[in-house]
Amino acid sequence: MRFSSFVRRLHLYLGMSLLPWFLMYGLSSLVFNHPRPFNYLFGPTEWTPRLERSYDLPVIPDRDGRAFGAKILKDLGLEGAFGVYWPGPREFHVYRFDFWNATQVRYLLDERRLVVLEKKFRWDHFLTGMHARGGFEQATFGDDAWAAIVDVVGVAMILWVATGVYMWWQVRQTRRWGALALAAGFASFLALLMVL
Amino acid sequence: MFSRLIRRIHMYLGLFLAPWMLMYAASTIAMNHRAWFQRHYGGPLVVWEKEAERRWGGDVPAGLPARAVAARILEDLGIEGAHTVNGPDASGGVTVVRSAALVPRRIRYLPAEGKLVIEKQVFRAPVFLERMHRRRGYEQPHLRDDLWAVSVDAVVAAMVFWALSGLWMWWEMRATRAWGLMFAAVGLALFVLFLATI
Repeated sequence: MRFSSFVRRLHLYLGMSLLPWFLMYGLSSLVFNHPRPFNYLFGPTEWTPRLERSYDLPVIPDRDGRAFGAKILKDLGLEGAFGVYWPGPREFHVYRFDFWNATQVRYLLDERRLVVLEKKFRWDHFLTGMHARGGFEQATFGDDAWAAIVDVVGVAMILWVATGVYMWWQVRQTRRWGALALAAGFASFLALLMVL
Repeated sequence: MFSRLIRRIHMYLGLFLAPWMLMYAASTIAMNHRAWFQRHYGGPLVVWEKEAERRWGGDVPAGLPARAVAARILEDLGIEGAHTVNGPDASGGVTVVRSAALVPRRIRYLPAEGKLVIEKQVFRAPVFLERMHRRRGYEQPHLRDDLWAVSVDAVVAAMVFWALSGLWMWWEMRATRAWGLMFAAVGLALFVLFLATI
């Protein structure tokens, strides 16, 4: 196979394989860029209380808190991908999520009590949740595999640009207009960087 | 003719938006490995260093809303633009973060001392990339921020167009139909598998 042919196939087949991710990242970016219409359409985020129980952690969670978050989720039978945060000095939250569901577990330190709430499904949050998911911090193989695909998408985007530029250069009659488009793009991007 | 038009739009859009796509690609990888970068830099990625201190605030009326104080600070420093405001705190202090693309600044107004403490963010590539990746929306009152948001919309529209026009061009090339179909099926199956399991 000639190099030129290899470049064309790479550009095409990478696109065919990663089409669902490409469309997901594109459509979810629209939600990020226009949150107001979606909030108007879906209304405020609704959390439904599911469970409340007394709970006693032997020590106060540290600032990182992931180990404590994992223990709380294990005790509730809710293991899976999660994040932790402190909304205040005496309240510790564990946010357990998959693509379709989100559960918030609030640990109230002074009351030694757990409150579990479930989020009502929203399509816009489904898209933005998928867009924002990444990183190798979760304990499950599935999450690491997803993060690996996110890397592949990143590398693929660089390859699409590189192979696209190569293919453009091969077509002699588009060189002038293509150079203009490329230069205008870089000039616009740099100008925005300078003034923002 | 139609096919040629599709090919040309696909290509020229790609060439024009190449800097955005490269930025989104590099920032995606950086954000996906944030923990590695934190270890590399030995702590939090965002670091501020003191740039200057100056007397300020003698003519600021008590009880002026924090947003108005922030606007006046940025105007006096000549760095108006997209920003966030925190405060007032117990002592009436206000913290403004001017989220510039290249050199973000954090300005703390300390009314009891009648001064501003100005800090600039230490430049780090992953932080810069993440900042650009997250920049979006039409909420800031400045034309330049709206222009950036328009460019984000352009990238969204282009991504949808590249996907659809890419399918069109693939279908036109008989020789690649079978392999293309296989790659598309594998990608879609993997995506659905992730949707169902994680």
